[in-house]
Amino acid sequence: MSHAEQRAQQSNPRDTEEETGQSKRIEVTDSAAIPDKSDKGLFTAWRVSCFGAIGLIILLCSVKPDPYLDILLFVPDGVLVTFEVTMLSIVLSLIVGLITGLGRLSGNAFINLTASTYVEVVRGIPLLVQLFYIYYAIGTFTQIPPFTAAIIALTVCYGAYMGEIFRAGIDSIDPGQTEAARSLGFSRWQTMYHVIIPQAMRTILPPVGNEFIALLKDTSLVSIIAVSDLLRRGREFATSTFDYFETFTLVALIYLLITLFLSKIVNIMENRVTPYE
Amino acid sequence: MNESQPIISIRGVYKFFGRLAALENIDLDVYPQERIVVIGPSGSGKSTLLRAVNQLESIDRGTLQVNGSDVSHPKADLNKIRMGLGMVFQNFNLFPHKTVLENLTLAPIKLKKIPREQAEEQAYPLLDKVGIRDKADKYPSKLSGGEKQRVAIARALAMNPQIMLFDEPTSALDPEMIGEVLDVMKDLALEGMTMLVVSHEMGFAREVADRVVFMDEGRIVERGTPEHFFQNPQHPRTQKFLSQIL
Ligand SMILES: Nc1ncnc2c1ncn2[C@@H]1O[C@H](COP(=O)(O)OP(=O)(O)OP(=O)(O)O)[C@@H](O)[C@H]1O
Ligand SMILES: [Mg+2]
Repeated sequence: MSHAEQRAQQSNPRDTEEETGQSKRIEVTDSAAIPDKSDKGLFTAWRVSCFGAIGLIILLCSVKPDPYLDILLFVPDGVLVTFEVTMLSIVLSLIVGLITGLGRLSGNAFINLTASTYVEVVRGIPLLVQLFYIYYAIGTFTQIPPFTAAIIALTVCYGAYMGEIFRAGIDSIDPGQTEAARSLGFSRWQTMYHVIIPQAMRTILPPVGNEFIALLKDTSLVSIIAVSDLLRRGREFATSTFDYFETFTLVALIYLLITLFLSKIVNIMENRVTPYE
Repeated sequence: MNESQPIISIRGVYKFFGRLAALENIDLDVYPQERIVVIGPSGSGKSTLLRAVNQLESIDRGTLQVNGSDVSHPKADLNKIRMGLGMVFQNFNLFPHKTVLENLTLAPIKLKKIPREQAEEQAYPLLDKVGIRDKADKYPSKLSGGEKQRVAIARALAMNPQIMLFDEPTSALDPEMIGEVLDVMKDLALEGMTMLVVSHEMGFAREVADRVVFMDEGRIVERGTPEHFFQNPQHPRTQKFLSQIL
């Protein structure tokens, strides 16, 4: 259910479909995780959580190495898998998202309807159900390896969200840019490639950063279909030792650290994006 | 001059936005080296006319030919046709993610496949022409309105167009910058550039125009030399309009 809550928190363009039609900008409000230099309180909160988590892990492992240190040594495989799933899914969903976003803006009624329907359908089905559907339901016809099923499910799901971000980002560019490019002789595609998308990229970057972090957290769902990610490794440890409290405390702290770390990177990237000058 | 073929030939053109006729039975020829200034009240269809020429706006009836080819024909190679039609907008529409120099070279490099060095070599004289060479490496956000518009003119010229279309190029500018843009346009006219200009700068029209066209409610109401217009306009609506802006 954390998935749904977090989804509700994010007020990305996907939630404000009507709005983006008129107001030509992308809303970047939420992302409790992403620190902002101008927001002193949040910045401090980031530090407190980050150093708190590190301190707590060190403390627990040194005071009670059994089982904390054992857990810490047991889960790194899972962290790696979590990263792999995240990275592959994000790259693929960016590609799917770009295509979907362009499709949603297409003048071609069929393409437009196809892209819109995809977005609508995916947004209406919980990620966990999509995951089950691809792994178990489709699995009755052709067996899909869990790792692949996980990537497909996350790509399909986040591709739709990314599509909405791309659409809003492209939509936010002044139509005069298209007119100027077309009047010089650029085709529709050349205009997109050389003029619109390079400018849309900076509007798109912050919400894509949010999706990136949201996706990382959502990868924990794939542990249910036997992908040995961080959460799965934790469960494996806990079921054999019955150290549920200790294991999930540590797993939670590790997720928190990874997310804080990523949000910092996203934050730095966003700050790199300066106005053209 | 009229013996040669017109570059632009507009015949019985209509354009509707819903039930509103933005263009109504427009006939107009533009001959090589001719300078035509289009005037008229707001909403009279001046921009629509200009945008129909390069098909930023499609037309609903009539024919519109550029160099003998029908631009509204479904099979018309619009991208090719547009390369020969430079357009300057009221709001400049410079590419903000490109430097001034890159604004000029982007289209020649990508569309005419000219090597970068050569495109830049060709761009610098244009920047000289519009007096903005020292800003070549600046981004548009660092330029004043007048400078932006001069870059926009140079960007259009970089494609070596046969004709330049100007849609109120000075009406978004602070008064003190209007002159520098008009000067560039006058220089172009002196070089023999064919120009179709929507503008309410009457001094410019008087000095540069071969013909002035007055539009109202989607129609061309009156046309003639600048002298005709400023000395004895015939149509009551022309008289009213000119008395308001002069
Ligand atoms: N895309 C559009 N959709 C609907 N109506 C439009 C559109 N573009 C223009 N019009 C209408 O067509 C008419 C002519 O507009 P146009 O922009 O050509 O006028 P104009 O003479 O250039 O006016 P201005 O001096 O204000 O620029 C106006 O009534 C305008 O509201
Ligand atoms: Mg206009």
